[in-house]
Amino acid sequence: MSLPPDSHGLEGLTALEAEAMDFALGAGSRAERKAAELRLLSDPAFRDAVARWQALLSPLDHDTPEQAPPAAVWQAIAADVTPAPLKAPVKAEGWWHNIGLWRALGLGGTALAGLAAALLVLPAAPLAQAPTEAPAAPTPAAALVATLVDGEGRPLLAAALDAGRGEVRFAPVAAPDGPAGRVPELWVIEGNNPPRSLGVIDIAAGAAHAIPRARLAGLKPGAVLAISIEPVGGSPTGAPTGPVIATGALSAA
Amino acid sequence: MSAAELAVLLARVADGDAAAFQAFYGRTSPKLFGIILRILPERPEAEDVLQEVYVTLWRKAATFDPARASPITWVATIARNRAIDRLRARPVGRHAPVEEAYDLADDGPAPDAGLALSQEAQRLHAALATLEPRHAAAIRACYFEGVTYDELALREGVPVGTLKSWVRRGLIRMRGALQGEAA
Repeated sequence: MSLPPDSHGLEGLTALEAEAMDFALGAGSRAERKAAELRLLSDPAFRDAVARWQALLSPLDHDTPEQAPPAAVWQAIAADVTPAPLKAPVKAEGWWHNIGLWRALGLGGTALAGLAAALLVLPAAPLAQAPTEAPAAPTPAAALVATLVDGEGRPLLAAALDAGRGEVRFAPVAAPDGPAGRVPELWVIEGNNPPRSLGVIDIAAGAAHAIPRARLAGLKPGAVLAISIEPVGGSPTGAPTGPVIATGALSAA
Repeated sequence: MSAAELAVLLARVADGDAAAFQAFYGRTSPKLFGIILRILPERPEAEDVLQEVYVTLWRKAATFDPARASPITWVATIARNRAIDRLRARPVGRHAPVEEAYDLADDGPAPDAGLALSQEAQRLHAALATLEPRHAAAIRACYFEGVTYDELALREGVPVGTLKSWVRRGLIRMRGALQGEAA
């Protein structure tokens, strides 16, 4: 793209430099900003020029009065990124931290979403524990799926909840071979409420986990699933105590 | 809190340390919320953008490069860009009138936090003061309010080309002053 020299507002100003200062200042139109964002990804010289102008302008931020945001904002952020701030992070170890292994399965987010839906129609695997009542007829309308991602947004595994059957299934990821004394526990977070346990789980190939139907009743798309690593038998406190390895929002299957 | 301390916190956030993330939020959110509120004065919208910014920071903390920017510049830039993107996504014509932009030029540094202006902020103010007042006001209006060249030209009653020339000439002059060259 070539423009007449004076269109940059100054003789001798290159188009790159003009676009960089416009972006750093924030004065471009929506379309111009989108174009600049694309250029940032592909053009190191442009990236450097924008960074220089940003650094030059940033002391202006000293002029802006600080404003304490309301507490609800942090609560919403915490619910979005992890079920609860961890007081004493546990040293990460074991198969569930082997993200490389999980990633090596080659499952992208889209593939996982499809996989989660497919889980719902698999023949029922033996339940990890017997339900206390006769299985009800499947109710597809109540089925919810989620793609669980790690703290950096990388998809790790898929989950499918069937409230009618009272069970949850996970996409096969790996055989559990982690150190003794630690187990994954599944949580659900609805809105700003504290995480609610759905029980200790075993993320094994095709396994279906029985979960009391009362715990799944009323779950809606948008609620967030999370998996934390807990002592055998589950969290002793009723809230996640170990590292959260994956989270994902539920959506209708 | 120093840039080095913030960088250490960010590195821990990149490792998924939720406690570090909460500490980082505590240290930086008032500044970011202030920046966002100047661009989006309606609080619910500003709160929404602030939330978006920190969720992004949680996911992208690993991409922070201390060699390229200070931590506070990095996060403030993300906040400004998000707020401006939100502003651009809605219909035009919801901005402060031109008189307020002039007021901004006379605001000077905010008296908050009891902090002395950093040396670099003082140098930047000195550089801005060398410009035509109208040109300096245009730069501040773009930076603080997120107005476009088109909107500002309309407010000022000048052609867009003229407005761009004010701003770009002004920025280059500022850079020259900061580099100690004759502008």
